[in-house]
Amino acid sequence: MSDDPVSTFQFLGLTFSTANVVSGLVVFVLIVAVVFFTSRKLAMKPTKGQNFLEWLIDFTNGILKGSISAGDVGKFGLWGFTLFMFLFISNELGLFIQVATRGGAAIVRSPTSDPIATLTFSLMTMMVAQFAGVWKLGYKRHFTNYLKPFVFWLPISIFEEFTNFLTLGLRIFGVIFSGEMLLGVIWDLAVSHGIATMVVAIPIEMIWQGFSLFLGAIQAFVFVTLSSVYISQKLEVEE
Amino acid sequence: MLSHLMIGQTLYFGDSLFYIVTFLLLMWIVKIFAWGPVTKMMQDRADKISNDIDSAEKSRTDAAGLVQQRQAALANSRSEAQTIVSDAKTNGQQQREQIVTQAQTDVQTMKQNAQKDIEQERQDALSNARDDVADLSIEIASKIIQRELKGDDQKALIDSYIEGLGKQHES
Repeated sequence: MSDDPVSTFQFLGLTFSTANVVSGLVVFVLIVAVVFFTSRKLAMKPTKGQNFLEWLIDFTNGILKGSISAGDVGKFGLWGFTLFMFLFISNELGLFIQVATRGGAAIVRSPTSDPIATLTFSLMTMMVAQFAGVWKLGYKRHFTNYLKPFVFWLPISIFEEFTNFLTLGLRIFGVIFSGEMLLGVIWDLAVSHGIATMVVAIPIEMIWQGFSLFLGAIQAFVFVTLSSVYISQKLEVEE
Repeated sequence: MLSHLMIGQTLYFGDSLFYIVTFLLLMWIVKIFAWGPVTKMMQDRADKISNDIDSAEKSRTDAAGLVQQRQAALANSRSEAQTIVSDAKTNGQQQREQIVTQAQTDVQTMKQNAQKDIEQERQDALSNARDDVADLSIEIASKIIQRELKGDDQKALIDSYIEGLGKQHES
């Protein structure tokens, strides 16, 4: 897998990976479709689609409420909802659709199986956290938080920002990437010796797909939970 | 930069930009199509439910107030009825006593009148009888005197006297 070719293209002087762009667009379209079709004909007494959407909103709001104080949840609700939807669909996409060119370069797979995507979201979380801290506490109190509990803590505080950034992005990447890699390995096993290995490998593949589905959901949940924890840390003055 | 750390993966920073733009666009679309209307609807529903609870509470207290009012009115009308009945009773009592007293005085008056009448009548009868007796005495005396002068006609005198007496009685 490590020697798979990668399809890229240049745009505005930047290099883009075709797989990431196409997969990202697929996720985008899927979410827009889900959100669009479930939010038609809104009513005081919700019907099927609206019920589902409201349940999702309640769910993501519930994640945020776990760490952010109730008064501030409303400000991050949309962000948490979109983040959860994007990560969840991204995690599960590669389990259903894997498209590659004839040469082996992936076109559609889980966007979250590429660290650039997960680290982007991780970076976004860190930026939202910084922004929220300044918005809530003001510049002075926000930045003096880095000097607490005492001034010598500053390097650790700064280092912590980087470790948070990396662990948040790489955790989800690791789980999804390894899940997809194992799917590929099992598939290689399945086709290696004809029917005999196929019979053995396909149930394993299905079991692993189901497990990856579960892991993808868990990882999306964990990502949003940790993001809200990092944000909530910036919303209060440390003692 | 970090690419040598990744196993078989290459970082493309354009993708980062792409994901940021995609994500922001997605947030915007989700907000327009779903988040805004749905959260508004949820808020409306929450408001409606709390309003319903409030109005239910209000109507419950209203109903309790009405019950109290009704009970008060009932008690009021009961006491009023009692007053009316007792008033009527005392009125009746008074009237009865009045009537009885009236009747008693009437009877007294009538009795007195009757006694007066009777007395009058008796007096009249007595005076009449006295007059009669006087007349009779005079008559008898005159007849006796006439007969003494004649001497022997006593028998005839008595007879005529008796006859006259009988006539007197018959008349």
